[in-house]
Amino acid sequence: MVQERRILYEHLDVPDINTFDVFRQYDGYKRFEKAIKEYQPDDICDMVTKSGLKGRGGAGFSTGLKWSFVPRDIEPRYLCCNADESEPGTFSNRYVLERNPHLLIEGILICCYAMGISTAYVYIRGEFTLGKRMLDAAIEEAYQQGYLGENIQGSGFDLDIYSHPGAGAYICGEETGLIESLEGKRGQPRVKPPFPAVEGLFHKPTVVQNVETLCNLPFLMGQGVEWYTSIGRTYGDTRFDPPQSDPNTGTKLYCISGDVNEPGVYELDLGLTAEELIEVAGGVKGERVKAVIPGGSSAPILTHYELECRLDFTSLTLWKSMLGSGGIIVMNETRNIVDCLLNIMKFYAHESCGQCTPCRWGTPWVRDIVQRIADGEGRQTTMQRPKFGIAEGGRWGDTGEMEEVYEDLDLLESVANNIANVDTMTWNTICVFGIAVSWPAVSYLRKFRPEFEAAIREGKLVTLPVEEATVPPEENYAYQQRIVPRLFEAPT
Amino acid sequence: MSNQLIQIETPFQFSEENQQEFDRLIQRYPVKEAAMLPTLHLAQKQAGYISPAVMEHVAELLELPVMKVKDVVTFYPMFFEEPVGKYVIRVCYTLPCALRDCKLVLEHIKQKFDIDVASETDLAKGTTPDGKFTLLKSECLASCDVAPVVMVNDDLYKNLTPEKMDEILDGLE
Repeated sequence: MVQERRILYEHLDVPDINTFDVFRQYDGYKRFEKAIKEYQPDDICDMVTKSGLKGRGGAGFSTGLKWSFVPRDIEPRYLCCNADESEPGTFSNRYVLERNPHLLIEGILICCYAMGISTAYVYIRGEFTLGKRMLDAAIEEAYQQGYLGENIQGSGFDLDIYSHPGAGAYICGEETGLIESLEGKRGQPRVKPPFPAVEGLFHKPTVVQNVETLCNLPFLMGQGVEWYTSIGRTYGDTRFDPPQSDPNTGTKLYCISGDVNEPGVYELDLGLTAEELIEVAGGVKGERVKAVIPGGSSAPILTHYELECRLDFTSLTLWKSMLGSGGIIVMNETRNIVDCLLNIMKFYAHESCGQCTPCRWGTPWVRDIVQRIADGEGRQTTMQRPKFGIAEGGRWGDTGEMEEVYEDLDLLESVANNIANVDTMTWNTICVFGIAVSWPAVSYLRKFRPEFEAAIREGKLVTLPVEEATVPPEENYAYQQRIVPRLFEAPT
Repeated sequence: MSNQLIQIETPFQFSEENQQEFDRLIQRYPVKEAAMLPTLHLAQKQAGYISPAVMEHVAELLELPVMKVKDVVTFYPMFFEEPVGKYVIRVCYTLPCALRDCKLVLEHIKQKFDIDVASETDLAKGTTPDGKFTLLKSECLASCDVAPVVMVNDDLYKNLTPEKMDEILDGLE
């Protein structure tokens, strides 16, 4: 049985940990003091790079690398802490903000000291009213105790932290959308480059980090790089010769919801399999697992054949999915995949910011097609055509068989792929919202095609048994193209 | 509201307390425009909704054209351009809550007050005639472990059933 390893969440349940005095008893702000006394800012950047810490917000981009892009000669620089947690299925930041806000402040302090930043904004989504209250109170306390403001603890380092409320737009979780929103405009993402690290908030270099990423910093500071890299798995990236290390170090706050017996946030080492994770969350509620969404609703779905996949940044990418924000949604045998897709597509159609035409028009179109199928009015032509698939010799081509044409399913895939193409990973939009729409749409369709076909054929939603609803592994595009990463061995 | 041709509105002013809060907010940012969202939140708290008069006042304070304020107000779902009930009920309707029967809760509230779900363009159809409640569908409220969840104004209620929802709504004055 896998054990939880609580680091970020270790003291979450301590009564009054949200107050300065109690937080102080549990090493609070001591790691920041260690940082300003023992290290130069550049040493801390080095440590973060060596630790292999990856951004926990969704993209999994190396934090050390991101920091290295920030020009140090342009003043002022800004930190934006992304607490706009809106990805369906994700709820780990909420608990940090509501119960242990001083930990976030300490993380921000370390980051800002390393980057020479003197103003940090915490962008909290508008619905987190309690979280904002708690954070504001904690910031106030930190000012009183001399951990914020001018000349902190006599080090000559200044920092102001301000909380900034969002107003319910999902797209403001995208880093440039967040910046636009913080500047008081519509939260429409910007064209990149220039990346925020070079030109971000108020046209100045800006570091945007998720709450969870920043909360890792105090522990990295306190216990060192060696300890940090001993947690999790490091893979060898074989695109390079000799293979370079591809770290998935540290713990991840996995948010497990849906059909499990004990939903909640579980802090576990990166690199556990989906099966193990469901086990940790008390097992599946119901008979068996039908599907698992591994990283918030934007992530391509996993079928029950793919549960051996390790849930870390590298493995899931090589399995044609993504860890994203770590929001895991489990569905059991009673769930209808068409219905689930409809729910998700309604979400995306509502949340598209309307800036790019493919997304503005495409997302409602995809939603309408799925709605039509769910209503039993899916279109089917009577024509038959040659079936393409894995032909003799193992190559993609004409299989020599015929197949029925389901017009709406072709249309669904075509529209989704024209917002963002999941095969070539290119998108016709400014931000990655496009791929967040077409990933679920195309993956649900391709992996659970029998259920979509049944809904069109029967004229109503039909929930098939798990085996029948799922495309077998031989026909599953992601399963066929998956790569299992190998653990890294240091070149001798 | 919308069927009136001419709307006569009294100008909006921040209360003294809110004006102080605004003066504190504006110092946080190098440009005034950046204080837009917190200012609008503050104004909505005072006025109940963002009327044209509110927009004008905010624009004046931030030294911006009114159109820029309107532009922002229309983008964000948390700002209302029409009057809403004293209690705004947001029922989370995204997948994790849907898997845990949020539909029952939503349908129950609809029947209880005999209202429809308000849409962004028509808030009136989701508001009770006495102006006490407004019912809205919401996107993921980031509490999927305790689904289904409902937010009533600033408070989050977890693990709901129609019966629990009744208790909560009946307890509101």
